[in-house]
Amino acid sequence: MKAGSSPPDTTASAVARRRKHHPGLLFAVAVLGLLFLCPVGYLAWGTLSLGGDFWATVASERTLRPLLNSLLIASATAVACMFLGTTLAWLVARTDLVARRFWRVVLPLPLVIPSFVGATALLSAFGQGGLVPFLPRIEGFWGAFIVLTALSYPYVYLPVLARLSTTVPTLEEAARLLGSHTGRTLTRVVLPHIRDSVAAGTMLVFLYGLSDFGAAALMRYDTITRAIYSSRLFDRATSLTLGLVLAVLALIVALIERAATPDRRPGKGIGRVQVQYRLRRSSVPAAVLASGVVGLALVAPVAVFMLWVIRGSTTVGVGYSGIGDGLGFLIGPILNSAVAAVAAGVCAVAVTLPVAYAVARRRNWLSHAAAASVTSVFALPGLVVALAVVFWAIQAPRPLAAVYQTFPLLVLAYVLHFGAQSMRASQAAISDVPLRYEDAARTLGVTARRRFLTIDLPLVMPGLVTGGGLVLLSTLKELPATLLLAPIGFETLATRIWNAAEDGFFAEVGITSLVLILLSGLLTWIFVLRRE
Amino acid sequence: MAVVLGLVVASCAGGDETVTVYSGRTENLIGPILEDFTEATGIEVEVRYGQSADLALLIDQEGDRSPADIFISQSPGAVGFLAGKGKLRPIGEDVLGLVPGEFRNANGMWVGISGRVRVIVYNRELVDPSELPASVFELTEERFRDRVAVAPANGSFQDFVTAMRETHGDNATLAWLEGLVANDARTYASNTSIVQAVGRGDVPMGLVNHYYNFRAKAEDPGVASENYYFPDRDIGSLMIVTAIGVLSTSDVPELADQLVEFMLGEAQRFYSEKTFEYPLAAGVAPSSVLPPLSGVGVATYDFDRLGGGLERTKELIDESGLESS
Repeated sequence: MKAGSSPPDTTASAVARRRKHHPGLLFAVAVLGLLFLCPVGYLAWGTLSLGGDFWATVASERTLRPLLNSLLIASATAVACMFLGTTLAWLVARTDLVARRFWRVVLPLPLVIPSFVGATALLSAFGQGGLVPFLPRIEGFWGAFIVLTALSYPYVYLPVLARLSTTVPTLEEAARLLGSHTGRTLTRVVLPHIRDSVAAGTMLVFLYGLSDFGAAALMRYDTITRAIYSSRLFDRATSLTLGLVLAVLALIVALIERAATPDRRPGKGIGRVQVQYRLRRSSVPAAVLASGVVGLALVAPVAVFMLWVIRGSTTVGVGYSGIGDGLGFLIGPILNSAVAAVAAGVCAVAVTLPVAYAVARRRNWLSHAAAASVTSVFALPGLVVALAVVFWAIQAPRPLAAVYQTFPLLVLAYVLHFGAQSMRASQAAISDVPLRYEDAARTLGVTARRRFLTIDLPLVMPGLVTGGGLVLLSTLKELPATLLLAPIGFETLATRIWNAAEDGFFAEVGITSLVLILLSGLLTWIFVLRRE
Repeated sequence: MAVVLGLVVASCAGGDETVTVYSGRTENLIGPILEDFTEATGIEVEVRYGQSADLALLIDQEGDRSPADIFISQSPGAVGFLAGKGKLRPIGEDVLGLVPGEFRNANGMWVGISGRVRVIVYNRELVDPSELPASVFELTEERFRDRVAVAPANGSFQDFVTAMRETHGDNATLAWLEGLVANDARTYASNTSIVQAVGRGDVPMGLVNHYYNFRAKAEDPGVASENYYFPDRDIGSLMIVTAIGVLSTSDVPELADQLVEFMLGEAQRFYSEKTFEYPLAAGVAPSSVLPPLSGVGVATYDFDRLGGGLERTKELIDESGLESS
C-alpha cells in the first residue's frame, strides 16, 4: 500500500453517503417521528395554555430534588441492569451453565410483574414480619434500586441474548486458536459484537427508571413522577410542565446517546452456530448468580403471592377468597391480556421498523430526530401517555373520533408508549447485517423492497422478535392506558390486579399475579424464545 | 379475535337503556351493587374503573364528548374538581333528601353514598393505647417524633387537609403540616401501604381511613394493626364520603338519577354488611363493629366557600414540604 493512501471508508455513514435516500422511507420516518411527538405536543400545549412556566418549574427546588433523584435511580438501575443482563445473557447463550434451558425461559419473566406489585411483594418478603425475617427490609434509594433492577434487567438480557445467538463464530474461533484467553476474547471480540444490543437495553432501563411511579413511591423514594402524579388534579400546570421536563430530558438524552455512539462498521455476518465456553471453576458462582437473580426477582414475589392465596380472605362474597374459590373470573382477563399484548407486540415492531431501519442504514438528521421522538415517549409515566392519546383522539374530526375507547386506539397507545423497545431492538439487529449482502444483491439488480424482504428481514428476525417480546411483556403489565382507553368493560389481568390491590384484596392480587406470570411465560415461549 | 369481535358487538348493542359509569371505587366494592341495579330495573350498566383523580381528568379532557353519565369518586376532592368545572348537573331534591345535609355538596351537585372515617392505625405491640393522642393536632408533639406515617399524595388525606382548613383555618393547617415535617413524620405511597407497614411494625402508627384495617384483618386475622378513633368529633376522625354525581353531558339523565337513587336505597345495606363502611342514607345502621356516627367529625363539604378551594390545599401541602420528606 502506497504511503498517503487510506483503506476505503466502510463505516455506515460513508456507505450511506454513497446510497440514495429512498423517498418513501424518508416520508414514513417523518410521519412516524411526528406521530410519536403526540405526547410531547400535548404536554407543550397544556403547559402553554395553563400558563406553566417551564424554566421556573425546572429551576425550583421542589422540582430539582425529585428530578435529581429520578436521574440518580434511573442511572444506577441502568448500569446495574447492563452488567446483570449482559452477564446472564452470555451465561445462557454461550456457556455450559447448568440447567440453561430452564434459565432461558425463566429469566425474562420478572419484566411482567407490575412494579407496584413487585415492590409490595418484596416489602412483604423480607424483614421483621416477612417471609424471610433474617434478611433486611430495605426502603428508600436502595429499596427502589433493588426492585427496579430486579424487574428491568430483562430489557438488557433479551436483546443481548438474541445478539449472542447470531454472531459469527470465525473471529472468536480464530482468537482462541491463537491462544487468546477467554477474558481477552470476550472483551476484544465478543463485546464489540454485542455493544449495540447492550446499549439499546441499557437505554431502555434508564428511560423506564425515569417513568416508573409504583416502585419508587412504595419504597418511599421521592421522584419526579411522584410530583407529576400528586399535582395532576389540583395543580395541572405544574403536573404538565413536569411531564414536559421529563420528555425534553428524554429527547436530549436520546440525541446525546445517538451522537455519542461511534459510527460503527456494519456487522461481519450472521452465524447460526456459536462458540461455547466452558465455565469450569466458574460454574458454581455462575449458577449462584442466576439463582440469586431469579430468587429475588421471581421466586420471592411468587412465594409472597402464594402466601396471600393460601392465607385467603374472610370477606364473604366480595373478591376472591382463596384456595377453593372459582377462577372463572380470570378467563376474560386472560384472553384480553393475551390478545392485547400480542397485538401491541406485533404492531410496535411493524410501526417502528422504518425508523429503526433508517437509523441503522440511512443515517441523517431526520432519522435521528424521529428515533429520538420514539425514544422520548418511553420516559413518560403511562398516565401522561394515556391522557395525551385521549387529548388528540377526542378532538379528532367525527369519523376519526369513532375510534375513541376502541381496541385499535388502545393498541396505538401501547405502541406509542412502548415503541422505543421494539425500535431499539430492531435497530441493533439491523446494524449487524453486513452491507456486502445488500451490495451483492444490488449489483444483481434486485429491487430495494425485495432486498429488504429476502435479505435483511430473515437475518434481523431474532432482533425483531425480541423487540416484540419486550413490548408484549410491557403491555401485559400496563395499567393507565388500559384503564382509560380500553373499550368499556375490557378487563386485563393487570387491571384486575390493580383493582384488587387498591383496596388491599391481597389473596386476589396473589392469584391474579401468579396467572399473569404463567401467561407471560407461555406467551414469551410461544412467540419469542421458541423462534430464536 | 373472537374477543375483539365480541367487544365490537357489545359496544354497538348499548342502546338507550344503558348507563355508563366511571367509577373511582374498585369493582369489588361496587360491582355487586351495580349488578343488583340491572337486575332490579333492567337498565344495563357499563363501568370503567380507575383512580378517582385519573377518571376526573379523563372526564374533563373528554369534554362534551364524554361517554360517561355518572362519576363515582372515592373521596370528595375528585368529584369537587368536576363540580368546580361545571361538569355536573344538580341531583333531584327528593334523592338528595335521602342523605343528611352534611354528607352532600351544598349545591346538590353530588351526594355521598358511603363513608369512611379517618383514624390512626397503630401496631398494638409497639404502641400502648393510652399514649394515643386525643386530637390529631397532638401528632406534632415530640413524643410522636419519627413515629407517624402519612400519605400526602392520597386523595383522602388531601380532603382531610381541606376540611381542616375549613374548621381551623389555613394558618393552623399549614402550621400542623409543617409540624409533621419537623417531627419527622414518614411519607408513604397510600393508605394500604401504611396499614401494611404498621402491621409489620415498620412504623408504629399512621393516618388512614378506618376501612383499610378491616380489609387487612380479613386477609390476615393475626395482624397486629388496630384502629383508633379520635374522640369528641376531632377533625382527625373526619368522615370521608364516597361521592356520586351525574354528568351535565349525560344523554340519559333520568336513568342516571335512578341509579343514584338506588345507591341510596337498597344498596346501603351492602356497605354495613360487606365492606365495613358507614351507610349514609338516613335510617340505615352501620355495622355493629364500628363506633357510632355521633362520635365522628364531619365537614360540611361546602368546599366552594373556601378561599382557593382544593388548589389551595395542594399549595399548602407543597409549601410544607411534606410530600418529599
